[in-house]
Amino acid sequence: MSLISQLLPKPKTPFPIVPRQSIAGRTLALLVAIMTFLSCVTFGAVYLVQNSTLAWSSEVGRELTIQLQPVEDEQMLSNIRTAISLAEQTPGVSRAFELTVSDSEKLLSPWLGEQFDISAFHLPRLVIVQLGDPSLFDLEALTAKLTDAVPEATIDTHELWQQQLNAMAGTVVLSGTLALILILTATVLAIVFATGGAMATNREIVDVLHFIGASDTYIAGAFQERFLAIGLQGGLVGGACSIVFFFVASTITNAILPDQSATQVELLFGQFTLGWLGLLGLILTVVTIAILTAITSRVTVHRFLAQIAP
Amino acid sequence: MIKFKNVGLHYGAGPEILKNLNFNIDPGSFHFLTGPSGSGKTSLLRLLLLSMRPTSGEMEMFGKNTNRLDKSALMQMRQHIGIVFQEFRLLEHLTTFQNVALPLVVRGEPESAYKSNVEELLDWVGLGHQMHVRPELLSGGEKQRAAIARAVIAKPDLLLADEPTGNVDPELSERLLHLFVELNRMGTTIILASHELHLLNKFKFPRLQLKDGGINVSH
Repeated sequence: MSLISQLLPKPKTPFPIVPRQSIAGRTLALLVAIMTFLSCVTFGAVYLVQNSTLAWSSEVGRELTIQLQPVEDEQMLSNIRTAISLAEQTPGVSRAFELTVSDSEKLLSPWLGEQFDISAFHLPRLVIVQLGDPSLFDLEALTAKLTDAVPEATIDTHELWQQQLNAMAGTVVLSGTLALILILTATVLAIVFATGGAMATNREIVDVLHFIGASDTYIAGAFQERFLAIGLQGGLVGGACSIVFFFVASTITNAILPDQSATQVELLFGQFTLGWLGLLGLILTVVTIAILTAITSRVTVHRFLAQIAP
Repeated sequence: MIKFKNVGLHYGAGPEILKNLNFNIDPGSFHFLTGPSGSGKTSLLRLLLLSMRPTSGEMEMFGKNTNRLDKSALMQMRQHIGIVFQEFRLLEHLTTFQNVALPLVVRGEPESAYKSNVEELLDWVGLGHQMHVRPELLSGGEKQRAAIARAVIAKPDLLLADEPTGNVDPELSERLLHLFVELNRMGTTIILASHELHLLNKFKFPRLQLKDGGINVSH
């Protein structure tokens, strides 16, 4: 805290009119630190989920699958070649390739086991089409050509899955935003009570300042300066703790969880790396809470001073 | 300097503490405010300190009708008034020097402008050696002298004292009263409330005697 104190703006008076160390002040700093930590973690989680979803969505949007219904082996090979050739001739497509039987077995192995023989089943074969430039790609033209050449083929653009993914991400972002609003509201209410308590504790100081001729504006300024410093201290501590939290979470994901679990967590949250934009968001959260503390305490202090005799 | 015209005061729906007060205080005068416990001495001092308004009548201070002044104007007028309390009311987290300098600090004066004045005044009241200690280390008499120094550092036109000798021994009480007399000789108008008549009898100053809510001015 003392290091942070040095970073804070110096008070206008040569000595602190409101005591630096008081139980109410420490309680408020702790409260702001906890609320800032919760806000930053909520913001960070929403930011990570949103980023992962955007990355997923953009990846999935650049890929589509041609499904070829099972037919005799030779005919199937011909169908696969035709589908790849038609896809590669379509503008916007960068690459088209067959998902081999062994690729399919590898994909299904987590559910059906390593010894599973896929050739025993009449499963459709898949051709993966990757788009270099989705804006040039004409889905209808490819569908028409494919239907003419290979009537057993269908195209899956993953559109439904993409919609579900976006809906899920939207729900997470909305829930996170609501949680953030609730935390900020709770912060404001807690600051109102903590500030009121601190003012009541320091009532003697307020009275003495009044008696020696200090105006309400001066007294409010002295207390507000103190509350802003407390808010900034709490905010910085809470913000720093949240950065440590994301660092520890990232370390745990990479080092402690088994590969499969880590992959699943990473699928949802990415690499737990916030990046510069995420860090900027955390800083904005800290600044927002410090400003909220300053505004809330200012209103509470002025209300307190208006209620008491001069 | 002060004019009371039919001033009355009551708290909420309670009985009138002060009734129909009429008196004048001239600049540079010294008055004792006396009366038995509960006679309204503190209430009258609160009116004079502008922390309350009369519930009836008119009060004029420094040439202005206080009934017509808003809160900020009252606070500005209060900068002309110094106050000394029986319980000292020094801020415990500040040193003697800082407590005494406080009225000048809240007026926005830089330390370079008031440092030597505060040190000089503390020497004058005999606290030069206790300048940088906190009130908890001062005796009752030293605390009261620090409180008096705080009340006069900004050179107020009017000094109010509410039982300033109530928490000190008789010998120190007399020395404190001499201190008030010295301040009065330098031009400060003083109203000093006390019920210690044996002490007040040693000084020949006019008295504002409160009894049953009314006031009697004796010279």
